[in-house]
Amino acid sequence: MRGMTAFLKKEFCEMIRTYKILILGSVFFLLGVIGPLTAKYMPEIMEQFLPQGMTLALEAPKALDSWMQFFKNVPQMGLIIVVIVFSGMMASEWSKGTLVLVLTKGLARRSVIMAKFLTATLLWSGAYWLCFGISYGYTRFFWDERTPRLGAAAAFVWLFGVMLIAVTLLGGVLFRGSYTVLLFTGFLVVMMFIINILPSAQKYNPIMLVSSSMELLEGIKRIEDFMAPTLITGGLLIASLIGSAAIFDKKQL
Amino acid sequence: MEALRIEGLKKKFGETEVIRELSFSVPEHSVFGFIGKNGAGKTTTMKMILGLLKPDAGKIQVFGESVSYGETKTNRFTGYLPDVPEFYSYMTASEYLRLCGEIAGLASGEIRRRSAELLELVGLTDNKKRVGGYSRGMKQRLGIAQALLGNPRLLICDEPTSALDPVGRKEILDILFKLKGRTTVIFSTHILTDVERICDRVGVLSEGRIVLSGEMEALKKQYAQDKVMMEFPKEKQEEVLAVLKAQHLEPLHTEVVEPSLEKLFLEVI
Repeated sequence: MRGMTAFLKKEFCEMIRTYKILILGSVFFLLGVIGPLTAKYMPEIMEQFLPQGMTLALEAPKALDSWMQFFKNVPQMGLIIVVIVFSGMMASEWSKGTLVLVLTKGLARRSVIMAKFLTATLLWSGAYWLCFGISYGYTRFFWDERTPRLGAAAAFVWLFGVMLIAVTLLGGVLFRGSYTVLLFTGFLVVMMFIINILPSAQKYNPIMLVSSSMELLEGIKRIEDFMAPTLITGGLLIASLIGSAAIFDKKQL
Repeated sequence: MEALRIEGLKKKFGETEVIRELSFSVPEHSVFGFIGKNGAGKTTTMKMILGLLKPDAGKIQVFGESVSYGETKTNRFTGYLPDVPEFYSYMTASEYLRLCGEIAGLASGEIRRRSAELLELVGLTDNKKRVGGYSRGMKQRLGIAQALLGNPRLLICDEPTSALDPVGRKEILDILFKLKGRTTVIFSTHILTDVERICDRVGVLSEGRIVLSGEMEALKKQYAQDKVMMEFPKEKQEEVLAVLKAQHLEPLHTEVVEPSLEKLFLEVI
């Protein structure tokens, strides 16, 4: 346990001093601001681009438009940046051989996996909920209306992110280069999209957590519809963690 | 007591047999020079002693306890200095030692005391620079500090001097020499003068086996040649040569001794 705490401290020190917290923080801060602002001012921006004398009948923006921006930007831009930032989690240790010394000092191999997962998850959660909070604040300020099932939709995206972190960690244990890790995680996501072509598989596919948020907000889908993909995502998350620990135990350094 | 005992050790990487039937032992309190060419299997052997690589066959014991692959308990006895020690470049030396101490389970006061002592020993006191800006020699010295942090009974150093300039080499050897008698040191190298300087026992590794081993003194005696080297003051040289000539003593070999580059280098810097 002591070793784990020490290694956690080291991970946080790394996140701060290699500017990972700064990068994630600023990206997600921007994503939080940009959603409501584009939704609010989109009609005006569009007008600027139209030739003089032409008018375009645009509906007045609603709170849902703001959330549409959020649930488009975060999974597309945000999650990609999260995976890129954390793809080097293990790779930097492999390539430099820094683990040899701490492991021969008696650090349990499992502590390495757990500390890395916890750090990445905490950072993702912090950045994500900050982004959500900003988005929420602006949206309430501009429209002052409640959006039902918003919390659930947001939590699903968060869970999907945690699962991606676990998968990226597994990739980091399996492969030593950070590009291979990116490919591994990317491949998994592409597979989910391919599986989504089959109508019968759609309702179990974890990708639903990030691709159907708007349907949930608009009432086309119910929270219950998300139960199966949530369970599968959770399963994938736990399997990735157990797999990472088991494979890392067997790795020769 | 034996600090290390290796019996019938074997290791293959793919088709290449790196270690075949390796057996040797190192008594406590000795400084053991583990000699071999590049690629002879020195690092592989050391990594197996530390449980970082899995042997294909054979037994390794550290202070009578068997080494198991993975998380081996025997590592509490050992300190390890890899050939190119790598640290987290964003940390300072004392931060890194604190991390190591916390992992090893040392108390906070103990870590502070030992870190100060060791940084003094290796000459890195008051260094606020992050490790990323360290020279190779400084990294090697920090490597020794981290290896000694837990007061190990066995110190394993993998080519600690090979990558260093003569000054750095001398510094590292001096530090290791200071440990003599307190800590058992296993020290791999291909620089034979380093071995002569500090080791009292040697083992020569070739093609995965120990081909020569024993106490330095005994080996020197065993392979001694009846050769004598004498040094006379410059003004007497003519005289000596004249005496030799008068007595009809013809030397088999004469040479003019030139100052060694190492000596010159150490003098001018």
